[in-house]
Amino acid sequence: MNDLSIDLGKGLKLANPVLTASGTFGYGDEVSEVVDVNRFGGIVTKSLSLEPRIGNPPPRIVETPSGMINSIGLANIGLEAFLREKAPYLSQLSCKVIINIAARTEEEFCDVIKALDNEKWISAYEINVSCPNVKEGGIAFGTDPDVLRCLTRKLRDKTDRYLIVKLSPNVTNIAQMAEIVQECNADAVSMINTLYGAAIDIHTRKPKINTVIGGLSGPAIKPAALAHIIKAREVIDIPIIGIGGISNGEDVIEFMLAGASAVQLGTVNFYNPCAIYEILNFIEQYMTQYNLMSLQKIIGQALV
Amino acid sequence: MKCITIGTVQSNQKVADQIFFATIEVPEIARQCLPGQFVNIYFPGSVKLFPRPFSIAGVSGKSILILYKVIGSQTTLMSRWQTGRQVKLLGPLGNSFTISEDKSVEYVLLAGGVGAAPLMFFRDELAKKKIKPHFFIGAKTKSELPIIEDVKSDLIVTTDDGSKGLKGTVIEHFEDFIKNIRRPVSLNVCGPDSMMSALKNISFPDNVTINVSLEKTMACGLGLCQGCVVKTTSGKYNGHYALVCKDGPVFNLNDVEFDE
Repeated sequence: MNDLSIDLGKGLKLANPVLTASGTFGYGDEVSEVVDVNRFGGIVTKSLSLEPRIGNPPPRIVETPSGMINSIGLANIGLEAFLREKAPYLSQLSCKVIINIAARTEEEFCDVIKALDNEKWISAYEINVSCPNVKEGGIAFGTDPDVLRCLTRKLRDKTDRYLIVKLSPNVTNIAQMAEIVQECNADAVSMINTLYGAAIDIHTRKPKINTVIGGLSGPAIKPAALAHIIKAREVIDIPIIGIGGISNGEDVIEFMLAGASAVQLGTVNFYNPCAIYEILNFIEQYMTQYNLMSLQKIIGQALV
Repeated sequence: MKCITIGTVQSNQKVADQIFFATIEVPEIARQCLPGQFVNIYFPGSVKLFPRPFSIAGVSGKSILILYKVIGSQTTLMSRWQTGRQVKLLGPLGNSFTISEDKSVEYVLLAGGVGAAPLMFFRDELAKKKIKPHFFIGAKTKSELPIIEDVKSDLIVTTDDGSKGLKGTVIEHFEDFIKNIRRPVSLNVCGPDSMMSALKNISFPDNVTINVSLEKTMACGLGLCQGCVVKTTSGKYNGHYALVCKDGPVFNLNDVEFDE
């Protein structure tokens, strides 16, 4: 039996390196009829904010070559309903559950963490400092180095729980941002969130997304994600959780070779909700083919 | 229960200009689907990623029926499907049209072109209960009509140019009809957004319940992406956005808005 487990440090061990990306898998319960959620190493839930958010007006999504642009606007049910309606399902899962948190202010981040810190079933927080689709907060936290430093420090002080900061690619120097997160003693970075993207209807001349510019995801952004991970790997030692257009087992191995300790599946959940099965099969075969006793051994082993 | 499964194309025939009627054997979906529900069809290839949603137009044994119009590259691919072709599907998805407990209710089905699909399935369900609905179907011209005769309903065909049936829009003729109805009416509609908007401008008596089946660009069909939203009124959804894939595709007309 091949050992697919991954140790992300500070007591966070995954049965395999494959997680879901926030906002592409709901709270897990929506999709539980068609896929065994526990086959994932863990799931990252849809961004949670203190109060419910209704999200952006339509159109919210558009298909683009090998990808899509979205502008959902962090629509979510809010902390109270989350604890009441979603926690019972999530808390009985055997895979790890990571809660993605979004907020308008530092205080809001702190309030959400304070309310979740007593929930023993939560394995980690992923801090969304990189949503390109909301007017306040969102990407602002992830594009200004000083703001990112201040926020990460504050959240590190608030909680002992495993802390992941999700980075935006929409910056000049992503390695610098990763370095700041490490300096502030966060436990890992996840990268990349969506790239800025736009599409225009040539007949009506209207933007195909309500906010004009949205977040581009899917296989189209995979090479960009790999490049950003390679840059970050050069300057940080904490684990990188790779995200960006992963659609099959080959992609997972490629991200791990580039320096990712684990990965998240995002857009693929929409067009192949059962991708996890094929991916785990491929990883097993790959490990056998290359006689790998532990998957952990390939992290960052690309000859770059 | 929703499932992802492989179906087999049994037939795929052109029934009107750019309109096709396919039969896909897929017992897991056929045995449980309800009128108004839809399936997602997955297409191979890595440039266009989203599956495409199609209303189920009926059930025949172990097969589901799909009535579709060729409008883009994926439906062009579908139009070339041969018997025996394997197709990956997810379904059944979404909610359904409903039959009232009240035996006095009169059923009216109102379709714009290929929007007839879910209503044909509903008509079949009504027929099982010995209910014969009024079925209005309209198109711009004769060649765009997916059906022109029907034994299970009182079919009223309209074309904008008068090339078949009554001349004018389906809405105009429906308005004339509804004026003379006294019994409670269950009006079930599927068609282009312009047709739905036109319905909003008609003042109906209180005893008319209007259910509309909506279509939106969808990425997943499962409620994961939250992309296929429709604006709602202050009623059932409290002015929030509802998901067409999960909360719908069938909505009470009073609960949704179309001005986007």
